[in-house]
Amino acid sequence: MNYQNAQISDVAAQLTERLAGLDNKADILKATELRALYAQIPTLPAEERAAFGQEINALRQELEALVAGHQEQAEALPAIDVTAPKDVNAVFPELLPSTLGSKHPLTQELETVLDIFYRMGFSAVESPEIDDDYHMFGSLNFPEDHPARDDYDTFMTEQTDKNGKPFIAPAHTSTMQNRVLRRYIDNLQQGKPIAAVIPGRVFRNEDLDARHEHTFYQLEGVYVNKGVHAGNLIATLKTFLQAYYGKELQVKTQPFYFPFTEPSFEFALSCPFCDGKGCHICSQAGWIELLGCGMIHPNVLKEAGIDPEVYTGFAWGFGIERLVMMKYGIEDVRHFESGKLDFLRQFS
Amino acid sequence: MKVSVNWLREYVSFELPATAELVERIGAQLGAVEEVIDVGTKYVGAVVVKVAECEKLENSDHLNLCFVDDDGVTQNVNRREDGLVQVVCGAPNVKAGLMVVWLPPGVTVPSTYDHDPFVLEARELRGTVSNGMLASPKELALGDSHEGLLLLDGDVTPGTSLTEAYKLDDHIIDIENKMFTHRPDCFGQLGVAREVAGIFGQQFTSPKWYATPGAITAGDGLSLTVKNEVSKDVPRFMAVALKNVTIAPSPVWLQTQLSRVGVRPINNVVDVTNYIMLLTGQPLHAYDYDKVAGLSGGDGAAIVVRYPAADEQIELLSGKTIKPRQEAIMIATDKQAIGLGGVMGGGNTEVDQNTKNIIVECASFDMYSIRRTSMAHGLFTDAVTRFNKGQSPLQNPAVLSQAVTMLQELAQAEVAGEVTDDNHAPSEQPSVKVDADFVNQRLGLTLSTTDMATLLSNVEFTVEHDEQSLTAQAPFWRTDIEIREDIVEEVGRLYGFDKLPLELPKRDITPAPQDPLLQQKSKIRGSLAKAGANEVLTYSFVHGNLLDKVGQPRDKAFKLSNALSPDLQYYRFHALPSLLDKVHPNSKAGHDTFALFELSKGHDTTAMNGDAPAEIEYVDFVYASKTVRADAAFYQARRYLDALAYDLGVSLSYAPITKDLPLPAAAAYDQARSALVSVANGGPLLGIVGEFKPGVTKQLKLPKYCAGFTVDQTELLTASSATTSRYHELPRFPKVEQDICLKVASTVLFGELHGVVTQTLTDNKPENTTFTVSPLDIYQREEDPEHRQITFRVGLASFERTLTDQEMTGLLQRVADKAAETCKAERI
Repeated sequence: MNYQNAQISDVAAQLTERLAGLDNKADILKATELRALYAQIPTLPAEERAAFGQEINALRQELEALVAGHQEQAEALPAIDVTAPKDVNAVFPELLPSTLGSKHPLTQELETVLDIFYRMGFSAVESPEIDDDYHMFGSLNFPEDHPARDDYDTFMTEQTDKNGKPFIAPAHTSTMQNRVLRRYIDNLQQGKPIAAVIPGRVFRNEDLDARHEHTFYQLEGVYVNKGVHAGNLIATLKTFLQAYYGKELQVKTQPFYFPFTEPSFEFALSCPFCDGKGCHICSQAGWIELLGCGMIHPNVLKEAGIDPEVYTGFAWGFGIERLVMMKYGIEDVRHFESGKLDFLRQFS
Repeated sequence: MKVSVNWLREYVSFELPATAELVERIGAQLGAVEEVIDVGTKYVGAVVVKVAECEKLENSDHLNLCFVDDDGVTQNVNRREDGLVQVVCGAPNVKAGLMVVWLPPGVTVPSTYDHDPFVLEARELRGTVSNGMLASPKELALGDSHEGLLLLDGDVTPGTSLTEAYKLDDHIIDIENKMFTHRPDCFGQLGVAREVAGIFGQQFTSPKWYATPGAITAGDGLSLTVKNEVSKDVPRFMAVALKNVTIAPSPVWLQTQLSRVGVRPINNVVDVTNYIMLLTGQPLHAYDYDKVAGLSGGDGAAIVVRYPAADEQIELLSGKTIKPRQEAIMIATDKQAIGLGGVMGGGNTEVDQNTKNIIVECASFDMYSIRRTSMAHGLFTDAVTRFNKGQSPLQNPAVLSQAVTMLQELAQAEVAGEVTDDNHAPSEQPSVKVDADFVNQRLGLTLSTTDMATLLSNVEFTVEHDEQSLTAQAPFWRTDIEIREDIVEEVGRLYGFDKLPLELPKRDITPAPQDPLLQQKSKIRGSLAKAGANEVLTYSFVHGNLLDKVGQPRDKAFKLSNALSPDLQYYRFHALPSLLDKVHPNSKAGHDTFALFELSKGHDTTAMNGDAPAEIEYVDFVYASKTVRADAAFYQARRYLDALAYDLGVSLSYAPITKDLPLPAAAAYDQARSALVSVANGGPLLGIVGEFKPGVTKQLKLPKYCAGFTVDQTELLTASSATTSRYHELPRFPKVEQDICLKVASTVLFGELHGVVTQTLTDNKPENTTFTVSPLDIYQREEDPEHRQITFRVGLASFERTLTDQEMTGLLQRVADKAAETCKAERI
């Protein structure tokens, strides 16, 4: 770097030369010459001070950069032959014992659940972790500013879509419903149903505690064909749950409201852990409210290009964490995303 | 929505079943019940008494010695010879002749019932025994007032239990509000009563004042004008002025009725507006007429409904001053704002003790506008809960008329002008025509149109039907009946969803297509778990500091505008930084050596997929060991990647990184000690494997022995799908093996030498033979860092004969020659 001031230029040259010989490069920043330059500032005529001060600062920054560069170089490890299977004079690396390895309990459970739906004839498609307002709300019969949106405290991004709306961290796997209906729409012409499940990671803007996570997993399902009715919905979910728990269960529905289904239900099963007698898992109720479901709203079918005069269908969604927590008696939902080996290795 | 069972009883024409059954049926056919509260248990033992005698207690400046008459109903209490009971009372309003509530000894004070119950006993006050106490509204949990006793009015007799006198033997059923998102009518007791009749198969008949309201007889005396400038957001605005109002506490029956469902009694005017709202779902607002007139420009009250002026502010009833959002609905005079329409009234026109004349407003507001205003200012009132569901404008005349009737009775109000009705709402409810088949097909039922018509007319639909179809017109208070599916829902619910036939859908046995990426994910998890690694799941959002630490650019990451905390502010590019962040805590927790992996979706503002952000599917892996080791951790991570690729049937090649990689996903890796991973034989790039930059290691407190990889699952899938079987036919003849050790300059890459060896063997092996090359050792003498000695074990087998050692020796000589020629290798 060239300095206008001859004095500073001299000091720069001296110090740069001295730096090469120093063991501890950072010592250069304590050089007496540098301090002397700073000390001169108050003695200068007022109009010269600013320019002089700026040059000293520039010099100091140059030296700092040189020191940092040297440090990085000193810490840098030598290049290695990455085409070799092992290092020189070393043994071949070995894998850790299989017994230590584990799949995450949530993904294990998801695979178990998916396996049952595969056997029942469903395809699976994952939902995205970032989406637009249209898929999260618009395509699902949520009018703008509808109070139903109150139940979805969504995270939003600063970045916006082509309509100027923020992108959304989906609060439900239904964000994938429109795409899935469109993907399999040809099935209907061929006289086959649309039968798909949608696992995915979803987000709610709520504070963390032992029972609430802002990040969790859901499994959505859709089934569309001619002549599909609400009794089919209840039977399908009951069949799945009986396969999952490996026993006969009682189920019941409660009317509910979702904008994207009509009628909508909350679906409960008799507690599989106490056979409905009442235990700590079902809070002595004998019933476990597990999921929301309903007949797909005609507007949602229309939005996906399906004629609701001809075809009807049902959809449902439930959380995976709850299944796993009940199954193992896990007390705190925060363990799932904690990355703690003490937790994970219990599921190997 | 809190529903009082006793309130329902006033409107249904049949005997309600026991509460437990009622709750179960409501749950199954109306909406989930959150809680049932037995109000009566709080009041066990509380009894209506007459204060027979009352005089100042000696030695006290405020206590009174009372003798009360309970008609002898209370057991186990000391009585005077004439049967009266002695109670000491400090309330300033106590005097002989009043009817009040006595809480005898042994009874729990109702206000303490839910928390820390206080049980009364006979005890001395200033040397005089008091048998229990006489109670204030606050002690009875019937209001806030603690200034004096609750004075009972009307036709009550001593000895009646309090619960019997005021219907406090009640159950409150709390139904989830969410269920009623599209049922504004069910935010009124009347609406729920109608539904309860419907689900028990009973005809409901709305009271006459509601079904066929009479017109309010106009009066005179007060001038009120209304100008609605925003009819788009205020489709109907009704108001009437009432004069000569007597502000007083409401009668006790009204106070207790409000209290039972959790609404605080205030005064007769406010209580009537609340009562009507609780009954019908339609919120009302009462203004002090004279205050409104005082704030108006002319002689009378001039109300203007409009949007806010620039920088306009309003002080609300709650005391809070806000600057309303630009399109909020303002209720104003021609000079000044007096309320935030549909949300909260203004403090400047509040009805108070001195109010003489009032204006009662019964308006309809656009539900979306109300919600936006409520959200913008964080105002959540009973009115908002009801208005943001969209109350029917068609019920306003009935609601206002009944309010006026009650105010005439309870506050001696007189109508002081014409009723204003600025009405822009449709006057007719839509009719829906639907075939029985349409309904039955969607429910799996075989109901006749007559069955359906009965279900619907029980809840006061107007229904016409023939054998095939029916035409249903919803009553004027319903806002949710527009399409045929609405009739399906209504019929199904009133019939009972639990009675639907459970049949699985029928379909052919075509196998359902499977998503290959999802299948591969399962394989990846299985492979890495088998190799001793642990799958973790970490949040998709990370702290900006974490991006900084690994050198990823914040400005290319999607950023949340409403993050819970800075810890969760940015969408991550991939999972690796989160994995690295989990290394140190696990080391600290006592784990010496471990491997973590995560399958994640990566996001980057520069990558779009159509209109939505693209998602890159990554598998990220990290290996960490606290044990100090001489060799480079790179090889450990590579070993894992090789194992994974093997399980997926993909062959990999590793190449040094020769130019700077600007990708965020590569930012953490030390390029001198990392490799680009591609599918072997010139296939596409898959990702990167390597050690981390010294700065990353330091910042994230990683152990020295730590390396990882980041691989694109989609590319991996393409490669894996293209792979054919790697099976080799097994030779029947024995294999010959020999080792070859080649000394090369350290600058010669292992891969280069390995390539030469393999190629030479391929070119020169005898016909019908197969060979293997396994690296045995890579050795460097301490005194000669310029060279490395690389030993391969070569195996050779023939499919047709037994090979000789000489053949092998000859072959290896060619290998050595070729290596000497191309790599200046010296055979050792």
